[in-house]
Amino acid sequence: MLHLWLLPAALIVAAVLVSIPLSKFAVWIMEGRYRPLPGFGWIERKIDSGPQDWKQYTAALLIFNVILFVWGYVVLALQPIMPLNPRQLGMLAPTTIFNSVASFMTNTNLQDYSGDVHFSNFSQIFFTISNQYISAAVGFCALAAIIRAFRGEKKVGNFFIDMWRVLIYMFVPAAILSGVLFIQQGMPMTFKSTIQVATLEPGAMGTDDKGVAKEQTIVFGPVAAMIPIKQIGTNGGGFFGANSAHPYENPSAWTNFITCFDMMMFPFTLVLMFGRMLRKMRHAIVIYGVMLTLMIGMIAWSIYFELKPNPGLTAHPPSVTYKIPSATAKGGFRELTIPQVAGLPIEQHLGNLEGKELRFGTVAGPTFAALTTAVTCGAVNCAHDSLNPLTGLSPMVGMWLNCVFGGKGVGMINLLLFLIIGVFIAGQMVGRSPEYLGRKVGAREVKLAVIALLVHPLMILGPTGLFAATSWGTKAEFNPAAHGFSEVMYQFSSASANNGSGFEGLGDTWGFNANPTPAPTSRQLDIAAGLVMLFSRYLPIVAPIAMAAFLGMKKEAPYGLGTMRDDTMTFYWLLLGTIVIIGALLFLPVAFLGPVADHLGPMPFGG
Amino acid sequence: MSRYFSKSFLLFLFVIPIICIIYPSVLWVIGQVFFPFQANGSIVNGPDGKPVGSLLIAQPFTKDEYFQPRPSAASYDASASAPSNLSASNYALRDRVARSLGPIVVYSDGPKKGQQVAPDIEAWFQQDKFGGQPHIVAQWDDAHNELAQGWVSADPTHGAYVDDWTKKHPNEVSKWKKDNPGTPDPKAADLAVLFFETFSKDNPGKFPSAVSHQSADGKPVTAIEPVNQGSDIQSIFFDMWRQEHADAPLQDVPADMVMASGSGLDPHISLQNAEYQLGRISQKWASDTKRDPKQVRSEIEQMVEADAWAPFGGLAGEKFVNVLQLNLTLRNKYGQPQ
Repeated sequence: MLHLWLLPAALIVAAVLVSIPLSKFAVWIMEGRYRPLPGFGWIERKIDSGPQDWKQYTAALLIFNVILFVWGYVVLALQPIMPLNPRQLGMLAPTTIFNSVASFMTNTNLQDYSGDVHFSNFSQIFFTISNQYISAAVGFCALAAIIRAFRGEKKVGNFFIDMWRVLIYMFVPAAILSGVLFIQQGMPMTFKSTIQVATLEPGAMGTDDKGVAKEQTIVFGPVAAMIPIKQIGTNGGGFFGANSAHPYENPSAWTNFITCFDMMMFPFTLVLMFGRMLRKMRHAIVIYGVMLTLMIGMIAWSIYFELKPNPGLTAHPPSVTYKIPSATAKGGFRELTIPQVAGLPIEQHLGNLEGKELRFGTVAGPTFAALTTAVTCGAVNCAHDSLNPLTGLSPMVGMWLNCVFGGKGVGMINLLLFLIIGVFIAGQMVGRSPEYLGRKVGAREVKLAVIALLVHPLMILGPTGLFAATSWGTKAEFNPAAHGFSEVMYQFSSASANNGSGFEGLGDTWGFNANPTPAPTSRQLDIAAGLVMLFSRYLPIVAPIAMAAFLGMKKEAPYGLGTMRDDTMTFYWLLLGTIVIIGALLFLPVAFLGPVADHLGPMPFGG
Repeated sequence: MSRYFSKSFLLFLFVIPIICIIYPSVLWVIGQVFFPFQANGSIVNGPDGKPVGSLLIAQPFTKDEYFQPRPSAASYDASASAPSNLSASNYALRDRVARSLGPIVVYSDGPKKGQQVAPDIEAWFQQDKFGGQPHIVAQWDDAHNELAQGWVSADPTHGAYVDDWTKKHPNEVSKWKKDNPGTPDPKAADLAVLFFETFSKDNPGKFPSAVSHQSADGKPVTAIEPVNQGSDIQSIFFDMWRQEHADAPLQDVPADMVMASGSGLDPHISLQNAEYQLGRISQKWASDTKRDPKQVRSEIEQMVEADAWAPFGGLAGEKFVNVLQLNLTLRNKYGQPQ
């Protein structure tokens, strides 16, 4: 079984190796040392609005995102009258549009719709692909601005130029390269929408009223154009409802390897870029090490639990009776008996296969599940709802911490928040005023860091509580008991972490406006998750930029004997400890209410 | 500020054509020129030269002559891919798996080694006792209300059968209405639990199932009737039978044969699964083509061997085969199944 660990190990090694030269290239581009391609220099001069201070940069970022929102809304709303729509797909429901637009502009890609059912190729290209490029670049630029602010620069660059550089010189070439590999492996690349095939066994799909054998309608399209940027931009919104589990979206073990690699590539690179641009490489490597430790832990956890058979089908030991304290029962206790269950005759040595595809290999599902939330991609290559109960905890932890490499730029930004708080706590413990990068961390910086950090748990726990306690959530739950709670909690964790994966059983689809039977509380879920995504995206970008700017404005104190060094093993443990302890304080209770209770509860649960 | 608006528009103006028109077009040209088969969906043609499916998309097979794909939560609808999303704690998962197991599981040891358990399930069912109590169907109904309701909604004929029953049992229905004042006008599905409770008492050892008859004019007619054998009983009640026969030695079925894939369209089955189906398939082809079963079996074995492969030389997983590819080979070699 040892060889099963080769796939995740190879992935991590590949991502680490590539991130080293790629981070050099990224610095070269972001510092503007390159010569623009012919003609592109003219465009750069056109879009340049001159050097911006942090307030102007933030304003430009926000204004650009307002336009992005309008763009997305218009493109989706116009779907019925736009070209490339031979299936004549109609208008989407207004809350579905709102949710999708918020979702894609925030790099979340939570999908309350199914790409193959609800989107025309026009929407896939002009809505999905454009947002996947642009929203990923926005986070990247925010990080670049923060780094420049940390360097003490008053002018933190120009937002429009930064966007252009990231999109044209990094994302487009990387996406084309991946795209070609994907097509070679079997990913469709066509502007047609569907193909009809007669099945090999006529009538196997059933017959229509006249007794004529039904054909199989296969939906495809420009899949190979969307999937590269979906992965490279850690977006995760799939062309098909089944996302990266769909054979057209992930045709082989090779494409699965490349999709995993693609989503890790830039998050790994950005940490090193941070170090290179600040000329603090050793410090960046310490951060890199903390992230890598957490990521390896999450992958190992999910593989370990997912290689166990599905507990709903196996035998369970002789019945157990628990005495439970009860106010109403006689004697103060009532008895709860969990009955003995006989196993079904299934050969499950490959682990839990429900919701998994065979072609990726045995451990590809749990590996992908851990990676996709660590780097806040949100693509899935297996059904997360059907993961073994404790395996499901791994992707949740990835979203809760949201800084294990994390999304484009924002993952690194989130880590900086933990870092500032860690430095502050350490300073308090030894009785010295805390410093970071040679500058004193004051009350204002810590306040901004805490605000940005607390948005995330508030946006997860608040709505989860509201929905889990009312019929808004309970009506949407697909699986029983603790697992149903996990579905709601996963949804808001995913929205707040701008991740986009889901326990997809949750009934959140309204779909077409004309749909006569929308999921009963899809409206509430659409709007709530949409708002969560917007808040959890822009506050944690704006507050850290301000924090970095305030910190950068301070005078650099000379390096002294008592200065806490940020490039040692001590700092590694400080940072790791801060993340783990704060993360556990915030999220352990829901972890127990959800996946842990699910694991300990009776299997199967009845119904 | 207005300057930022105009610059944002300009950025859009330059970027959108590149990422939404030029970029997909470049990939489209590369795909259509160098990889036309893959770029157009890996579509393969049947014996008559017409497209029969995609090598990457599962399609259903019902005939015993063909390898069957993994179960699909999407009913093999390649325009609406979907996983089952069932969690381990959801009884619906165990129920679905148990139903597909019942008709195929065989004894692995003991005097009945190699024989199917299905006849034993029927015999046990006819005794109509579970856990020492009478009425299996009533107990099933009581433990799994949702399955009972699911049966009623599964098919219009089921609903009609319950409606028919409602008319004949006005007393029970009016009592139900008194107990459930919130539903003054119950539909068939609302009454499902009550229906099975009384059905079980009226028809001990029986379950309502579709039965085909010759009608007077020679046409086949299907109607719902109480039966004491058949695939419904073998599948629906396999899990309950198993609870009372926990020690019966049964041969394990490969997991991917009964567990649904992530997309509902997984085109592959494990080599283990293919070998499990081999006996049925080769027997059927041998009788269709009137040839020596042993020889047919070894021919098909070779086909399976030739098609089976594992990614990364087996480092990432175990061997699997492509269902459509295999079935196409079978079809081309042996002709039309009978």
